[in-house]
Amino acid sequence: MIKFLLRGLLRDRHRSLLPFLVTLIGVMLTVVFHAWMTGVIGNSIEFSARFASGHVKVMTRAYSENAAQAPNDLALIGTDTLTAGLSERWPEMEFAGRIHFAGIIDAPDSLGETREQGPAMGFGIDLLSGNMAEAERMNIPSSLRSGRLPERKNEVLISRLFADKLGVVPGDVITLVGSSMYGELAMHNFTVSGTVDFGTTALDRGTVIADIGDVRDALNMEDAAGEILGFFRTGVYDAERASAICEEFNRAYNTPDDEFSPLMTSLSQDKTMGFLVEYSGKLQAILVALFIMAMSLILWNAGLLGGLRRYSEFGMRLAIGESKGHVYRTMMMESLLIGFFGSAAGVAFGMIISLFLQNHGIDLGVMMKNASVMMPSVFRAHITPATWYVGFIPGLISSQIGSMLSGIGIYKRQTAQLFKELEQ
Amino acid sequence: MLAFRLALRNLLGAGLRTWLNVIVLSFSFIIIIWTKGLLEGWDRQARNDMISWEVGGGQYWHSEYDPYDPFTLTDSHGQVPAGLEAGVTDGSLVPLLITQGSVYPRGMMHAVLIKGIPPQQKVIELPTAYLEAGEGDVCAIIGEAMAESTGLKEGDYVTVRWRDRNGTFDATEVKIAAVFKTTVPTVDVGQIWLPLDKLQEMMLMPGEATLLIRGPEAGPPPVADPWVFRDQDFLLSDIETIIKAKGSVGLIIWGILLMMAMLAVFDTQVLSIFRRQKEIGTYVALGMTKSQVVGLFTLEGAMNSVLAAIVGALYGIPLLLVQAVKGIKIPLSSSDFGIAMAERLYPVYSLWLIGGTVAIVLLVTTAVSYWPSRRIAKMSPTEALRGRVQ
Amino acid sequence: MKRVALIFLLTGCLSSLHAQYPDGKQLLDRIDRNMSSENRVFTSTMVINGRRATHTIKMKTWTAGEKKSFTEYLYPVREQGTKMLKLENQLWIYSPSTDRIIQIAGHMLRQSVMGSDLSYEDLMEDSRLTDRYSAVVTGTEEVNGRDCWVIDLKAFVPEITYQGMKLWVDRERNIPLREEMYAKSGTLLKRTELSDVERIGNRWYPRRILFRDMLKDGKGTEFIIEEIEFNVPIPDYIFSKASLKK
Repeated sequence: MIKFLLRGLLRDRHRSLLPFLVTLIGVMLTVVFHAWMTGVIGNSIEFSARFASGHVKVMTRAYSENAAQAPNDLALIGTDTLTAGLSERWPEMEFAGRIHFAGIIDAPDSLGETREQGPAMGFGIDLLSGNMAEAERMNIPSSLRSGRLPERKNEVLISRLFADKLGVVPGDVITLVGSSMYGELAMHNFTVSGTVDFGTTALDRGTVIADIGDVRDALNMEDAAGEILGFFRTGVYDAERASAICEEFNRAYNTPDDEFSPLMTSLSQDKTMGFLVEYSGKLQAILVALFIMAMSLILWNAGLLGGLRRYSEFGMRLAIGESKGHVYRTMMMESLLIGFFGSAAGVAFGMIISLFLQNHGIDLGVMMKNASVMMPSVFRAHITPATWYVGFIPGLISSQIGSMLSGIGIYKRQTAQLFKELEQ
Repeated sequence: MLAFRLALRNLLGAGLRTWLNVIVLSFSFIIIIWTKGLLEGWDRQARNDMISWEVGGGQYWHSEYDPYDPFTLTDSHGQVPAGLEAGVTDGSLVPLLITQGSVYPRGMMHAVLIKGIPPQQKVIELPTAYLEAGEGDVCAIIGEAMAESTGLKEGDYVTVRWRDRNGTFDATEVKIAAVFKTTVPTVDVGQIWLPLDKLQEMMLMPGEATLLIRGPEAGPPPVADPWVFRDQDFLLSDIETIIKAKGSVGLIIWGILLMMAMLAVFDTQVLSIFRRQKEIGTYVALGMTKSQVVGLFTLEGAMNSVLAAIVGALYGIPLLLVQAVKGIKIPLSSSDFGIAMAERLYPVYSLWLIGGTVAIVLLVTTAVSYWPSRRIAKMSPTEALRGRVQ
Repeated sequence: MKRVALIFLLTGCLSSLHAQYPDGKQLLDRIDRNMSSENRVFTSTMVINGRRATHTIKMKTWTAGEKKSFTEYLYPVREQGTKMLKLENQLWIYSPSTDRIIQIAGHMLRQSVMGSDLSYEDLMEDSRLTDRYSAVVTGTEEVNGRDCWVIDLKAFVPEITYQGMKLWVDRERNIPLREEMYAKSGTLLKRTELSDVERIGNRWYPRRILFRDMLKDGKGTEFIIEEIEFNVPIPDYIFSKASLKK
């Protein structure tokens, strides 16, 4: 029977092609909408995760209690082994140590004495290992305003406004005056390799980024880091998985009585971020639901009209002796076939587009003034398991309901009038 | 004109079918505006929260004040300039005195900003009334983030240490009278709020302030040299940049939504041409040129969206208006977040959004109607009259 | 009549009690004579009891009067050769690894030195008590087995770090064995315990001082004088920026 109907559909393209195309486009749009929405809503969380919180974060409890003040005397020790262990145990994640520090950046005059200085915040991240993951995460390459990324030891990036204030340009030497992990006075010379824009005044006014190895040298933090951040390789935060990983990690590594033993927390456990994760997730669900509703209505309408316009055909078939039930059933089966293949094709096309948007993203840099560390210009879609099936809701179910509704007319006595009217 | 009347009559004559299409299309309208409004509302929320919690209608800064350099706080305070005293008296200007200090909860030192604010102020949303509790205690309020990082709770006492204008250390116990919830970290993280007069007394700075916050609806700001007026644009420039960036993301979403509306029109239009070949043949036979027929069908399609806009307005305006005023409650599983005003999302529908959507959908539907109608031009009238499928 | 006599008797007793206390100012003067000097050269060790670990820093310091001081760090190795010069309220730091002389701005002087309970300002403050405080002896107490006068100090200059202090001064040696620094409100902020008092030349001097921030948990910072010489000639070039790089 299905074979027979299929053949009929394929031969009578007018009966099948348009509904198929409409379903295909509708489903495709739904899929792309879902993936893009998930992506961009997730992006704001992702930006914060990449910049500060990670998907998971390992710190000592003592450090985390006072994290805002970057208390490096309370930092994690033995981070190389720890990071290696983490990467081995959870290969789905990438781990990277970071050091936050505060201090004074001092620019010398020709005699090597203080010419200008200012308070600074600093980030020590992996820049020199040859793995660009951290630089990309912090969106540094596209935020570079002059010079280049650090390529040699003791090179540093400096926020553009700060560089202007200090009157330094790439190639100049600046000195960091800070305090080492053991509270000693720490002074270290860096060569400015480039300037970056952060996109928020607070950071633009006084921030430096250096390779974590150099920062360790500068602050006497050998094999130590303020925090180790973990990122899902998929690039997207998975709250459930993250909390499972945290639980397992803490069972294995954390000693509750020792405030210096490593403690892993997930992004959701950060109050602000947790709120944002849940809030934006819900908002996204509402928006996707609205879209599906609208698309369902359109495809339902398409199904309904598709059925209504075949009333004369049904009248004919009834006249030559087909039972009402049979006519109805074949009609349902036909619309089911169209709905299924239309949806399948829609999902396929939608996925191709979404995949492209996920992997390449769209660079909105032209529409924005400039990309900066805090505001990347490339936005990406994100495909979740739900992306695979959301399209079927309007594609299969609602067009089917439309057909079912229009098919009811077959059972009605006064159909003649109805299809006369519709025929006109 | 004839074509217009004919198109309208055709549409209305089609009865149920037209209304189905119109309702579906009107629904697309509403969804487009709604979705975009929600996204815009979400983007603006941070901006609005900053205005109501921190920025107000702009701020007057002491000439030395630099919020990004806490070391300037030592020098950035002074008497409220004469021209602004009236505003302070009538409450339209809220003076803030800011200084550095430390708090010592549980035997640990936390560097903080101490901010003094008049308890009776009504300009920003900080629950400053709690500062008045009294009974001999100096009352303070802190935000949730601060409460979490220091482990302080409502009702706790904590030692605050500061240095007065002479550099002399002073310390006192303050009672945490309230912990407030806010989405604006710049009034929360690393700071403690005290009654202004108390802080002035502590700092030996009677009548002095670091900055003044204006009420949002005040007129043009009076000049108050040497204090500097910072308007909302200045104070919100960071967030505006982010909103703009997000706006371009929204544009893509808007594009997808438009395509959805296109689909709705396209479907019905193709169907109608397919089903109405006899009619087309008749028009041509009666002497209408093919382009007139194409025009008629295009007009019908476009009219669909005009009707949809009208129908959409009928139920959409009240619906969207209620949303904009009351907001949408975002159902959060954990009441622990408890950020009361953030649970409600207030969509923002700009005139540009509504007008632009209607105009573009109209344009697009006209184009989409035109496209299948071109087939008419290729029809042979006799074949069409017979109703032959071509 | 009886009551009046009693009052007379009591007030008589009280005033005679007071009469046994030394004059506050004189006592401060005697302390200053022990504690401050025209100039001095000393080697000291600072033991910082951090939240996590204990760190030791060793340094040699030359001071002249209240305004000039020069410090060279001897230990740990990382710090070796780091030098600090303080003139008036300006501070320069030199580190050999960077070969830079950096001037520390005024507001930085209030930051804690190397994670200790002392600020740069605390370290530099060496002006005589009599220049800043008026004193009243309020009683006697025993500290570490030594009889002490208890003195309340009140600042008479406005620009001062601690408005009130309380000293426990060894009655025999005129050296404080305990100092408490108070906020204007009367809150106890810091306490120092001075011990290992030794005779050095013609004065008594504590070799060990323990500083504690009383608002904070922790074991405080210990300051140990290894060697000290008073009133030795110090060439003037020591207190110049040129000597930082030497």
